[in-house]
Formats: sequence, structure tokens, C-alpha cells
Amino acid sequence: MIDIAAFQEALGIMFTSVGSWGWIVPGLIVGLVFSAIPGVSITMAMAIVLPMSLYMDFFSAIVFLTSVYTGAGFGGSVPAILMNIPGSPSSFATTFDGYAMSKKGEHNEALGYALFASTICGILGYVLLLFVIEPLADIVLRIGPVEMFSVAIWGMLLLGSLGSKYITRGLLAAAFGILLGTVGMNTAGFIRGTMGIPTLLDGISPIPAMIGLLAAGQLLSLASKDYILDAEGARKVSVRLILKGCWGTMKYPGVLLRGSIIGIVIGAVPGVGSSIGNLIAYAETKRTAKDSATFGKGNPKGVIAAESAVASAEGGSMATMLALGIPGGGATAILLAAFMMHNIVPGPSFIETQKPMVYAIILNNIVQAIVLLVVGIGFIYVASNVVRVRTRYILPAILVIATLGTYAVSGEISGPITLFLFSLVGYVLVRYEYPIAAVVVGILLGRMLETEFLRSYQLSGGNPLYVFQRPGAMAIIGVMLLSLAMTAWGKRKQAKAEAEELAAMERLHQQELAGINGRS
Amino acid sequence: MRFKGHVYTVDYGHLSLVGLMAAIVAWYLFDTRSVSTNVNNILLVQPVSIFALLMCALIVPQCFKRVTGAAAEPEKEGDYDPLAPKLPTERKEVIKMALLGGALGVFVFSLNIIGFDIAIFLFCVAAMAICGERRPLHLLAFSLIVTVVAIYGFKALIPFPMFTAIL
Repeated sequence: MIDIAAFQEALGIMFTSVGSWGWIVPGLIVGLVFSAIPGVSITMAMAIVLPMSLYMDFFSAIVFLTSVYTGAGFGGSVPAILMNIPGSPSSFATTFDGYAMSKKGEHNEALGYALFASTICGILGYVLLLFVIEPLADIVLRIGPVEMFSVAIWGMLLLGSLGSKYITRGLLAAAFGILLGTVGMNTAGFIRGTMGIPTLLDGISPIPAMIGLLAAGQLLSLASKDYILDAEGARKVSVRLILKGCWGTMKYPGVLLRGSIIGIVIGAVPGVGSSIGNLIAYAETKRTAKDSATFGKGNPKGVIAAESAVASAEGGSMATMLALGIPGGGATAILLAAFMMHNIVPGPSFIETQKPMVYAIILNNIVQAIVLLVVGIGFIYVASNVVRVRTRYILPAILVIATLGTYAVSGEISGPITLFLFSLVGYVLVRYEYPIAAVVVGILLGRMLETEFLRSYQLSGGNPLYVFQRPGAMAIIGVMLLSLAMTAWGKRKQAKAEAEELAAMERLHQQELAGINGRS
Repeated sequence: MRFKGHVYTVDYGHLSLVGLMAAIVAWYLFDTRSVSTNVNNILLVQPVSIFALLMCALIVPQCFKRVTGAAAEPEKEGDYDPLAPKLPTERKEVIKMALLGGALGVFVFSLNIIGFDIAIFLFCVAAMAICGERRPLHLLAFSLIVTVVAIYGFKALIPFPMFTAIL
């Protein structure tokens, strides 16, 4: 629980180093701009600004880098909503309803929902962190491959929410995606499906593949349109509508809370991060929503769920980094490097001896989330103007940036080639009504599924009963099954109520008919 | 096609796609098994491949549609589903899309041959022309701006070298 004396000391650090707050806005802008470019990752943005932080004092350097991290957490959702191109894998679930809202001319509101969900859940994630940083570190240490495999399976449950017209095509698309995700060398050292191409040893790069699959159906089809949005009225950019979206987020506290909890827990697991958290939060929100049929067609709850998980995952991964000294992903690895450059090593002893500093870092992240609201509104106002530019100008520019973004992933031409090949795959799959989102989920989770399945198999010696020795895995599976059972029960109850209502209407209609016949 | 007294239409395009996917999955399974049949190698790949092949078998009948007199119900306008996006169907639109896709293909394969700068410039000119821009000054000026901003921007951003001919 929270240490009051250390907390007061942390407030002291915060207010005596007000000068370092000046780094929040530049950090947020760098994060927002970089992450809005498809293919340019948060890690890359932080790596570029890392040398600058060497010349700052410790607290200012951490404030600047964590601001970049906070800004980048939201920035990826802007191209996801406006153009269906997720800036990073963690914004993938945002495209489902965010882009659909844009197509309906509700891009201002969608961006408002995403921004406010990001802000609130960023704050919520860090507030929770203040209280649970130590117990959370204990939980993370108990997570093994079986638990990770359970999390990956939970992520795959999203497939049930993708609602393809043909179930078999959805399942084939997912299986195909998983197989594509396993190409290359697996954890046990076996090399499959590389066709002798060295680049494929590391597998198919998910970012170029994801952009290619999503770009095929959307970007290329814009060639015959004059603007991204057809209706002139829909191309309006309005701060009032953005704020309306922001305010609308408050109507869904349950969605925000669920997304935050999923985000913080999954974000805390090293190597998993927000790329699965947003999928699980989306799937769980859709599964439990009464209006689940409207998900994927522009339901704001879909945007809020995905963004809340992404924002709070940031707090989760910071917890692991601060408490254990284990980076959850590339961005926290850069933060770890920044700590070390200032001769500070995060970990259990850091928490024990420097608790006020840890609290000050967390408190500053809360301030950053609040400032993000103001900076974010300005950023999305500028970015939204993309819908007002004619496609003949915007389309070549987006395609060039996306292609160079895929080159930026590894600095090899294989990135742009993967983008192009997956554009063709995406085109053919869309043409025959296969859900491309299922392929993307498969590619994103395929490698993790195999790795954790393999490790679980090796640990258990092939004994499936081993799962009973892992309370964490049992808890995850239990929550997953409970969620599925509750949904099935809820759907059944809803169907029964609808059937009763229909029968009552029919009886009323028959009585009316009988009355008319009796009178005549 | 006539079968048991009923007339069927065959969607050859879809049938080819299912066949191609089944062939790729079967090849991948074969390739994986040829590397090793150790459980550590085939633990996930083998069951998922078999499942995918089973799905292909179940999808094949969907490529055959029985011809009946009743016309298909038209889809409601505005019922857009981004998880099942629709592609343009008009000939002119399809040609534009194919041309842009082709230009993208030429662009990515020429990056390392003619240089990123020239490839970006030529792609921009081609893409703008395909999208309907005909004014030469606009074509050249905008493409030049995109090229300069993209090259210098990405050179500053990424730690990898980019092969350029002029810039």
C-alpha cells in the first residue's frame, strides 16, 4: 500500500523541480508526431531523443522520456481512426470502430473518445500503480509460460468478436494468420517456411504485414474518390465535436474501468504489452455489451475499450520496470537505459531506497496525462484536417510515408516488399469476404502462442494436468470461462426476453384482429 | 454446371483462392515436417495446419451456388462494416485501383535500384496522375515537396542508411 511519508516527500520533489515540467509538452509532441507515422515505433522515437536526455538532470530526463512515451501511447490511434492504418500494433483494435465512425463523418467525436479514454485511463493506471506497485511486482514474478499462453488464448478469443458473415472463412483466415506468424526459427531452433530467405528467419514482420493487409482494402480503393470522406458535411473539423466526444467518454465508466484493469495487468507482463491488451479489452467489451451487434460499425465503446487498455498498459509496464528492473518492451528498455546512464538501477532495491523518487515519477506521469488532454486536442485538430485534403495529394503522401515507415522497422527493403505482398493478399481476401482482421490477429499472436505453448509443454513434460499446479493460469482461464459463460447466459436471457416480447406482440395483434372481426 | 438436376454457378476466383491457400498450408506443413517431426517443431503448426485444411474443405462448397429464380436481396445502403470492407466494383474504379497497386509494386521494388529519392518522386507523380491530377506544375511541385520532406525527414528519424541518387 501507499507510504504516506514517501508520498509527501515525492510531492516535495515534484514542486522543487518545477523546471523539469517544461519538458512535458515537447516530450508529448515528439511522442504524438512520431507514433502517428505508421511504422515508426515508440522505441524509435525514444531512442532518437535518448542522447538529448544525457544533458539533463535525472528527474528532467525521466520526465522528458516518459512524456514521449505517454504521447506515443495515444498518437497511434490518430491514423487508425482517420485512415484505418494503426500507427502501432497497440492501436489495431482502435481501427475497428474508430475508422467506422470516421466513415460516418464522426471522426471528431471518435478522436475525442480516444483522447479522453487515453487520458482518464492513463491517470487511472498510474493512480492504481501508486497503490499496487509492490504487490504487482510479486505477481509479475509468478507469471510463467502457462500464464502467458492463457493470455495469448484470451487474445485469440477476439476472433469470436470479429463477426464474419461466414464462420468458416473467419476461422481459416485466423488459422492462416497464425501459421504466417510462426514462419521462421522457433524457440526450439527449428527453421520452417523460410524458402531459404534469411530475412524470414526472424519471421514475417508484423507491422509491414498489418499495414499492407489493411491498406489494400482501404487506401488503394480511395484512388477513385476525390476525398477520404464522400459527404462534404462530414469533412468538418470541429473542436466542439472533439470535446463532445471527450465528454461522451464519461458515459461509459464500466468500459473505462474494465479496459484499465485489463491494460494494467497485461501491460505489466514483460513481453506482452499493450498489443494484446487492446484486443482483449475490445473483445471483452463487445462480449458483455447489450449492443454488441453494432461493434465494428462505429460503436464508441469499441474505441474507448481499446484506447483505455493501451493507456493503462503504460502504467503496468512502468511498474515492472521500476519494481523489477525488467523492461516490458522496447520503450521501457530505453527508459531503463536512461536510468542507467544516470547511474540508477531500477529494481527491488530502488523501490526500497528511493520510494519518494518512484512516487514522484508516477505523479509526474499523472500530470503528463492531464497535459496530454490539452496538447492532444491541438494535435488531433491539426491531424483531422487530413480529411479535407483531396486524395490526389494525401494518398501518394500517405503511401510514401507508410512504405518508408515499413523500411524504418528494420532498415531492410524486405519491409516495403512485405507491405506490397500483403496488400495483394489483403485485396484478394477482402474480395472474397475473408475478415482480414482475423489474419492480423493471427500474425500478431502466432509467434507468442507457439513460444509459450512450447515452453509450457517442456515445463509440464506434456502433462495437461500441470495447469492445476499453476494458480495464475487457472485464474486467467477461470476468468476467461466465466466471462464466456456469463455472455452466453446473458445472450440466452436476451433472446428469451425478445421471444417473449414477440409472442406478446403477436397475441396483442391477434386480439386486435379478433376485436375487429367481432365488431364487424 | 449441372449436378443432380440442378444448375450451379462456380466462383472460379474463390475456388482458386481456397486451392492456393490449401496448397500453401499443405506445403508449410510438409516443410515443417521435413525439418523434423520432433514435438518441439510441430506442436502448434501441425494441428493448426490440419484445422486450416479442414476449413478449406468446408469452404469449397461455398464456391458453388445453386441458380434459382429468386433475385438476391440487395444490401442496405449505409450499412458499412469495416470488418468486411467492400471494394469498388465499377470498371473505371477497379482500373484505377489496379494501376495504383501496380505503381506501389514498381515503387517498392525500385527503391534500392534507382534510389529512394527518384523512386518516391516518380511514384508520387504516377499516383497523383492516377488519382486525377492533370496539371503538370502541381504534379511536379507536390511530388518534389513530398520527396524532399520524406527523404530528409526519414534520414533524420531512422538509424539505417537510405540509398539515394540525388538527395
